[in-house]
Amino acid sequence: MAAILRRFSKPYTTLPTSNPKIPNYVRRMSNMPEDTVYGGPKPQNPDERVTLTTLRKKHRKGEAITMVTAYDYPSAVHLDSAGIDIALVGDSASMVVHGHDTTLPITLEEMLMHCRAVARGAKRPLLVGDLAFGTYESSSQQAVDTAVRVLKEGGMDAIKLEGGAPSRISAAKHIVEAGIAVMGHVGLTPQAISVLGGFRPQGRNVLSAVKVVETALALQEAGCFSVVLECVPAPVAAAATSVLQIPTIGIGAGPFCSGQVLVYHDLLGMMQHPHHAKVTPKFCKQFAQIGEGINKALSDYKQEVENRSFPGVTYSPYKINPAEVDGFSKELQKMGLDKAAAAAAEAAEKFETGKNIQTS
Amino acid sequence: MAAILRRFSKPYTTLPTSNPKIPNYLRRMSNMPEDTVYGGPKPQNPDERVTLTTLRKKHRKGEAITMVTAYDYPSAVHLDTAGIDIALVGDSASMVVHGHDTTLPITLEEMLMHCRAVARGAKRPLLVGDLAFGTYESSSQQAVDTAVRVLKEGGMDAIKLEGGAPSRISAAKHIVEAGIAVMGHVGLTPQAISVLGGFRPQGRNVLSAVKVVETALALQEAGCFSVVLECVPAPVAAAATSVLQIPTIGIGAGPFCSGQVLVYHDLLGMMQHPHHAKVTPKFCKQFAQIGEGINKALSDYKQEVENRSFPGVTYSPYKINPARG
Repeated sequence: MAAILRRFSKPYTTLPTSNPKIPNYVRRMSNMPEDTVYGGPKPQNPDERVTLTTLRKKHRKGEAITMVTAYDYPSAVHLDSAGIDIALVGDSASMVVHGHDTTLPITLEEMLMHCRAVARGAKRPLLVGDLAFGTYESSSQQAVDTAVRVLKEGGMDAIKLEGGAPSRISAAKHIVEAGIAVMGHVGLTPQAISVLGGFRPQGRNVLSAVKVVETALALQEAGCFSVVLECVPAPVAAAATSVLQIPTIGIGAGPFCSGQVLVYHDLLGMMQHPHHAKVTPKFCKQFAQIGEGINKALSDYKQEVENRSFPGVTYSPYKINPAEVDGFSKELQKMGLDKAAAAAAEAAEKFETGKNIQTS
Repeated sequence: MAAILRRFSKPYTTLPTSNPKIPNYLRRMSNMPEDTVYGGPKPQNPDERVTLTTLRKKHRKGEAITMVTAYDYPSAVHLDTAGIDIALVGDSASMVVHGHDTTLPITLEEMLMHCRAVARGAKRPLLVGDLAFGTYESSSQQAVDTAVRVLKEGGMDAIKLEGGAPSRISAAKHIVEAGIAVMGHVGLTPQAISVLGGFRPQGRNVLSAVKVVETALALQEAGCFSVVLECVPAPVAAAATSVLQIPTIGIGAGPFCSGQVLVYHDLLGMMQHPHHAKVTPKFCKQFAQIGEGINKALSDYKQEVENRSFPGVTYSPYKINPARG
């Protein structure tokens, strides 16, 4: 059912193996000339990929860092094209891609699948993969094993994990020691809604606010290269940002963070159903109404199929030689399929004369 | 990182378990009131789901059947909202979602994952799941086992398989006998590009055209409820459609089929990069330029973050009492 590539009349002049920069054996289909490769030839230019160094420079110069979530090849390509600094393969996929009510159900295998797809599409942004709920909390060993898989099998550049409990700080430290860059995440940590009692903003009283700052510092101490601050009041985020040397990336945390992050579907207004509009978070600005555009396009498609105006001649490009049509009709008649023979002849005539196509 | 639901100040007045129509235990988080459930409470109304009967009626009345591919929850919701008849969880996911160059790399596990996500989102369209390359060709037994998983674990209503070789017809027959509805697929079958020599339209000479009609008939004989015709000339599709009793769903097969199908990303113009624009098929009309909308939105977001105008006061809703600072 994949009807994307069509290069059936062009001679195969270049072999896929002639480009040494395409390492992925999966791309080397012998019947696929390079320039029809869906993703296009992509020489990996190491100077272009955003790295921790790039982020450090931005942070030192006071330039805001941009982060957006991505879950598949198209969204990754979009982030890359728009020049977003960091592509986060978030466990929010559990909700926005899989339709669950929380981030808890998604498995490591599913996350790795999302990571791989994003890695194929985004060649410039730094790639950060979330550690899914249940894959890193029971021991530092489990945390390191999971983080290794996210880089090794998922193709990510770094990982993000939630929380600031001592065991979590310890896990972060072990992962960094394993050579894997870690992004921390404090404030509202969606994997912990069980103890938090729901998706509740944090840091709204003295104790909680101090805890946010303390855990951010501890994560920096453990070696994190940045920290996400989620759903905390602006003053709390400002305090944390000023005291940390590493950048803070905020979401629902006000304008004083080093950078911002939003969920792809939310910022695009992907879901237009009234129910979904209701549950879109208040801190998320919708930069487009993509859902409405999609709805209109699908409705137009449905209408044009039902009133038979699509595909029409314009979108029916495959021709058959009149001589072949005759031969075809005759063969069908021989098989006793007179109706089919007549239909074929009639269709060929309609197309040749370019009449308005109406099916019987 | 999921920042979708916020109902932190509302008292929890209803228990999730109070609605007997939500069977999925995963939805029963005790700290999640029903009306904050991301998907919303969705009583499964059996009268609303499109079934084989619905399709048969449409076909008999000469009403065109609409089919679009879907791969995740949002696309499934969109198809549902737009009233599309059939949601096909296609192995085209291998290309449009995963970025591979062909449909071959995707695994059954990945397909099942896509199926489940779509099943959660689309409550009205008929759900058809593609059998992935390598999961049904070696024996009829393998084919039945895979088809069973697609329905059992994937939550689909029917399956689609490609091809018209005798072994394939036999596999279709066994799957139907197992009680699973099968949609056939002839013409250009993308899993067979190895023998076809690429994504080449079929049925352009007498032998090939006759074969398309014959295999479609054989699939009907085996019990298929419909057949997809891909990339064949219009007269060939017209011949097949007229001789079959089951509906034909065309793609790049002209206007004489019983219905049409397109790939979600293609019809929406999801990818705006010049390279992708180049490889969008000629038979696919772009009903929108979603990719351009996305690109603009992301550029605006980047700009507003970098000039510090986002989030601003409007989008910084969480307050802290001055005394507690």
